[in-house]
Amino acid sequence: MLPRSVTDRVARLREAAGRFVYGLTGYEFARHALAMRHEMEAVFMVVTLGDLIGVPVLPPVYSVRLLPYVVPQIAAWKRDMARRKEFLEKDEYDLHAV
Amino acid sequence: MNTLLAVIIGALTVYLAYTLYARRIDRRVIQSDPKRATPATLYMDGVDFMPTNRNILFGYHFKSIAAAGPIIGAIVAASLWGWLPAIIWLILGVSFIGWASDYSAIVISVRNDGNSLSAIAHKLVSPRTRTVLFVFIFFYLLLVAGAFVGIMATVLESQPKTQFGVIVLTAMGLLLGQMLYRWRTGLVGATVLTVGITMLAILAGGWSEGIFGALNAGLNNLTGGAPIVTYFDPMLAGFKGAEAKIMPSLLFWALAICAFCYAGSVLPIWRMAQPVVYVGFWITATAMFLGLLGAAVAGFVKPEVAQFVIPAFRGWNPQLGPSGIMPLWPMLFVTIACGAISGWHALFGAVGTARQIENEADMLPVGGGSMLTEFLLALLALLAVAVGAKGAPVAAFATGLGGFISVWGVPIQYATSLAFAAFIVIVLVVTQLLFRVMRVTLSEWLGDVIPPVRNQHVASLVSIALAILLVLTGTWVYLWQLFGGANQLMAALSLLLVTVWLASVGKNWLFAGLPAIFMYVTTIAALLVTAYNIYFNVYQPNMAAGRMVPVVGSGLMVLVALLLVAAAIMIGIDGWRAFQRYRRRPAPAPKPAAARA
Repeated sequence: MLPRSVTDRVARLREAAGRFVYGLTGYEFARHALAMRHEMEAVFMVVTLGDLIGVPVLPPVYSVRLLPYVVPQIAAWKRDMARRKEFLEKDEYDLHAV
Repeated sequence: MNTLLAVIIGALTVYLAYTLYARRIDRRVIQSDPKRATPATLYMDGVDFMPTNRNILFGYHFKSIAAAGPIIGAIVAASLWGWLPAIIWLILGVSFIGWASDYSAIVISVRNDGNSLSAIAHKLVSPRTRTVLFVFIFFYLLLVAGAFVGIMATVLESQPKTQFGVIVLTAMGLLLGQMLYRWRTGLVGATVLTVGITMLAILAGGWSEGIFGALNAGLNNLTGGAPIVTYFDPMLAGFKGAEAKIMPSLLFWALAICAFCYAGSVLPIWRMAQPVVYVGFWITATAMFLGLLGAAVAGFVKPEVAQFVIPAFRGWNPQLGPSGIMPLWPMLFVTIACGAISGWHALFGAVGTARQIENEADMLPVGGGSMLTEFLLALLALLAVAVGAKGAPVAAFATGLGGFISVWGVPIQYATSLAFAAFIVIVLVVTQLLFRVMRVTLSEWLGDVIPPVRNQHVASLVSIALAILLVLTGTWVYLWQLFGGANQLMAALSLLLVTVWLASVGKNWLFAGLPAIFMYVTTIAALLVTAYNIYFNVYQPNMAAGRMVPVVGSGLMVLVALLLVAAAIMIGIDGWRAFQRYRRRPAPAPKPAAARA
């Protein structure tokens, strides 16, 4: 039987290799799916924008129903909106090397 | 020389460069601090800024930087100067410049709130740097798109057995996008289905050879066997130059590639570009993985495919065309770009990878480690062409790689088909992305002045038309070297920016500054040599013969080369002034680092 340190090391190596392969393959799809969800959530953010700044744009009943879902995202959304973006940062600019 | 020795040298290079040099710079100069908060942890938004495990990020960054560049560069360089100068530059380039460029671009972004290089250049160097960067990027993309479309059209036309695989790859990419994003199929099942079918289509290429051969012949009969364009190509007749003809079948395949790229450019990225890249990745990765392992063991199992057969050294200034010059310095250093050093890696690393760095201690394994791994890819390409040696450089590469794969018991004809397909697929999938990026750049750059280019169809068609014009000059080697010059200049500018930043924070700037000076001088010289070659080898002979299409195309290439030189000089002057400004200023007191939560 192999010593525990060797089996631990092999297990860690397997885990690292698995993550490396995931980074090579599925991670990009996961990131893109997140970006698509982010775009969708931005729509809900806009719906509740009126309430955030105290000007009700939509009948508040709809905003109130959405608010519990968007409140956790508000801080990140504000940062995203406020950040000055370069053209290099567009999703479509992802060249995946030449 | 045999492949086992080369693989051992490659592995030693990676180990020594990482442990003896890169790690020392990381600890002593950059002083990466695992306790310092990174932009990913400070500004996490779940999309751009996202702390990610270092192993995942290593895979992601490696896939993002490794594609056709390291393969084509090594193939061309080995054909022009021999394998020895190519391998020496690969080893020295990646050890002292390449990893430093990739790593430091990530460092500078992580230490500057995850900002892109152009935003940092705007702040540290001068506001006009960003505009100049636009010029670089657009022409960089145009040059590489022209080179890739030219290479692809030639290979597809001359190798009818590869065409079926490309068509099936496109169909499977579309199917994969539909399965993943619309039908919500699991990734593993969808991968097995689409990659499996594509692989079968590639291996069955011989079956369809007759059909596509007949198609080519039928197309050429449309003009009665007469060419559409005739031009002088200095690559032909053993690099002495000869008349070349663009036949209808070649134009057909060039236009087919453009149609593929147009679809990749205008369709939503999940619909075509991303899944086609993914399916292509598996094909290429399979061939490269089997090839690299095969190269290591071929000396024991199948010695006949492990011996180098091309000359080690072909000369300091090989003849290319009647009036051309191809001096080893500076031309080798732009011909092999991505396997040794690449500016694109720096651009991507700063905006794509730096914002996902979870811990400063990950910057070196992700940035430097990926570049050193890409060096192995370039080394494999060099080995393949060094043992292949049959026919044109691309065919030699496929023969050599096929030989390495055949070590594992795969019949040689299937192994060579897979190697050919790997090359075609990797170039093709990158080309569609190039046009996608070109259209975005064009609309950002000129959209305010020329509103129609904001339309994605107009921007895509303009980009494709410009690339086709370059293809019709027929001299893809010069296009490749111009692209290499633009790419290496971007790397030099990235290193220059890092040097200015290091000076501004009072750190030792030599590890970035010396490579920046070397790459800056070398690439400007290479661009001027290439402009000279294009003028005397392509422009003048075609002008004398009254052939206007190659004249316009080569004239455009000369103009692009000179424009890149002018842009580089502007950035160089601004960078030097900024560097002097920061050096004269006393080093600022270090800000207390934001602590990790």
